[in-house]
Amino acid sequence: MRSLLDFIVRHSYVFLFILLETLSLVLLFGFNDRQKMAFMTSANSVTGSLFEWRTDVEQYFALRKENATLATENARLRNLLYELVDSQYVDTERALSVDDVIVARVIDNSVRKDDNYITIDRGTRDGIVKGMGVYSPDGVVGTVMAAGRRYSVIVPVLNGRTSISCKVKGSDSFGFLEWQGGNPYVAQLKDMPYHAAVAEGDTIVTTGFSSVYPEGIMVGTVADVEHMKNGYTLRIQVNLAVDMSNLRWVYIHSRMRDSEIDDLYRQIN
Amino acid sequence: MDTASFIRRFVGLILLAAFQIFLLNRIVLFGYVTPLFYIWMIARFDSSISRSGVLLWAFSLGLVIDISSGTPGLNAASATLLAMFQPALVKMFVPLERHVVLVPGPSSMGGRAFAGYLLLLTALHHTTYFILRSIPLGDWTVIILKIVLSTLLTFVFMLVAEMFTAGTPGNKHS
Repeated sequence: MRSLLDFIVRHSYVFLFILLETLSLVLLFGFNDRQKMAFMTSANSVTGSLFEWRTDVEQYFALRKENATLATENARLRNLLYELVDSQYVDTERALSVDDVIVARVIDNSVRKDDNYITIDRGTRDGIVKGMGVYSPDGVVGTVMAAGRRYSVIVPVLNGRTSISCKVKGSDSFGFLEWQGGNPYVAQLKDMPYHAAVAEGDTIVTTGFSSVYPEGIMVGTVADVEHMKNGYTLRIQVNLAVDMSNLRWVYIHSRMRDSEIDDLYRQIN
Repeated sequence: MDTASFIRRFVGLILLAAFQIFLLNRIVLFGYVTPLFYIWMIARFDSSISRSGVLLWAFSLGLVIDISSGTPGLNAASATLLAMFQPALVKMFVPLERHVVLVPGPSSMGGRAFAGYLLLLTALHHTTYFILRSIPLGDWTVIILKIVLSTLLTFVFMLVAEMFTAGTPGNKHS
């Protein structure tokens, strides 16, 4: 008995090892619910503040470039404004909708994982709600997955969960944008009808069907068109307009979906 | 272990973890290669710490990195495993008559033996790390590529760190 106790005491580190390793593996496999995980790690205030602090430092060094980008966008918007004033044209649909744009800063981002997430420094107190569309001056970025009080987590295009309704600019055929991992500059547009006239270099934009995004937000350009064997659909490789690895500011489209549409869908189902 | 060396080790843990989280985790070469330099702390554990102590330090280091980078358990699991085998790895590279090594380093082990020790230690850690991370295991060529290239990069980081710390108080043993 005594020698057994001796043995246990002398090899206590082995038991500690088993305990710690089990604990680690329970954590590893227990938190596979990525939604919960992303929220836990990024949207909570402690890490959120740390990421924000790091971004502050990084952005200080990128100010010159940042200014140039903002100036370019300013110019573009100004042009748009003049065109609008010139045409004396009022888009009634747009004027009646409750479109609102929130600007947010990207404080954490990844592009190399199989499922990437982006954290921004705006949350529920700024009016962010789960399901809102996120885009940058260059184009579509993703959808809000979880909103904390001060921070939110976005599922970007570069995530297996993403599916965004898109169409070829100037036509009405639409499909769904998905990403299968790997190259962070290319995504796939699936379920386009076989007869759709699509050519390399065509522009892909959002449809606005889901009211997550406004209609006509840039997504990317067609890199390659592949006819699926099923004879019904096309698969299109899309060069993404947004460089996800270099994202600093984003806009959140906070147009509230009309609850009447949801009610109708609920009646059908 | 006295309070002073505990505090020194604790500060070292925080600095290494911060370096890994805020800088190294952002480095991704060719979409595959990330240096996991934080295991430097485990590589330098000396024989004055109990084996349980080594395990607890390594586990805490891994857990801190996990919590801040959204990978619960991943670094903790691979760092704890490495800590379990670290003393055995030291013995592998030191001749029997010199088993009284205090701090693993070029002066105590010999330059070549220390380099071999670091390389094997890194390879062991990165193999567990990338296999655990890639579950469910898919493309083995990609996983092996990640292991090999990241091991080499971490190894280079360690050699550079060794060059910088040579001659500092932490190296005075032996």
